[in-house]
Amino acid sequence: MSWGDFLVVFACCALTMLACRVIPLFALKGRQLPEGVERALGFIPPAAFAALVANDLLSPGMFDAGLWPAAAPLLASVAVVAVACWTKSLLWSAVTGVAAYFLLTLV
Amino acid sequence: MSSRGYIRDAFGAAVPIMLGYVAIGVPCGILCASIGLDVVQVVMMSVLFYSGAGQFMIPNMWLAASPVASIVASVSLVNTRQMLYAASFAPRCAGVPKRLAFLFAATVTDESYGVNTARFEQGGWSVDRALFVNLFSQASWTASNVVGVLVGSAVDIPLAIASFAMTSIFICLLVTQKLTVENAVAAMAAMAGVFACKAAGLSGPAILVGAVVGVAAALGASALRRRARKTGSGTA
Repeated sequence: MSWGDFLVVFACCALTMLACRVIPLFALKGRQLPEGVERALGFIPPAAFAALVANDLLSPGMFDAGLWPAAAPLLASVAVVAVACWTKSLLWSAVTGVAAYFLLTLV
Repeated sequence: MSSRGYIRDAFGAAVPIMLGYVAIGVPCGILCASIGLDVVQVVMMSVLFYSGAGQFMIPNMWLAASPVASIVASVSLVNTRQMLYAASFAPRCAGVPKRLAFLFAATVTDESYGVNTARFEQGGWSVDRALFVNLFSQASWTASNVVGVLVGSAVDIPLAIASFAMTSIFICLLVTQKLTVENAVAAMAAMAGVFACKAAGLSGPAILVGAVVGVAAALGASALRRRARKTGSGTA
């Protein structure tokens, strides 16, 4: 990638990213929000985390390459859920997830 | 608490993210090197753009011979989910100086959003601590990308396994949410929304659309439950 192409991609992506990160916060910051909006904001964390998990684990063609390649991360996720419920630790969850996924890929 | 105490708190909260970013930042740097990006360009992206998904997408799409406009549009679309995080943090930033709020908002990622949201909910957390979480995470991401560029393809890291560290962090953040009917509806609807988007070939906005569907479904469930409670108390 040439410097010219890089600068176009970099500048456009960085600007849109900054706008997405900053504008909503400053548009809502310090305002007395209607009750419905506050309730909606409170639902963002579970919805966003679930969307991120689903984006990583689920897709319509996930079993096209066979059962095991898609089942391995799902099984590793079960181990992560157990450790997360037990320890509530992000670090232990990440370590468990990577270790479980690695071991399952050896099967 | 002293500022050193703030920084220590923030570092403790950021450690899982920082380790995860090492695992995926090095492969990201290797990928960037494969399309001819050098250390300066990778540092520019990591500091001023700072998007894991975006920094993986750019070299991948470039290698697939996608036009520049298509790369910009796809990466920007994927990152629109940041708007939800920004909106979610707005009440926390009430009364916070503009410069601090700006710097904090400009350095939020999926992972730091999760960690800071959990800390804010536990209580005793502040935007300056949250900013330090973001900055520690960003420093780890940037350093890992630089290492990736420098080692090039000399190291072979299985990306699917390394990136599962981040998936595991999201799973932990999800299962440690307060267990309510509305939150369960939000999570299930969001997952269904993501899956439906992908099935329709809309992978780019899948996370944003899924999350919005989840929030809308939870609001609907909340309204129904409140109406049922009102009806119940009215007839009692």
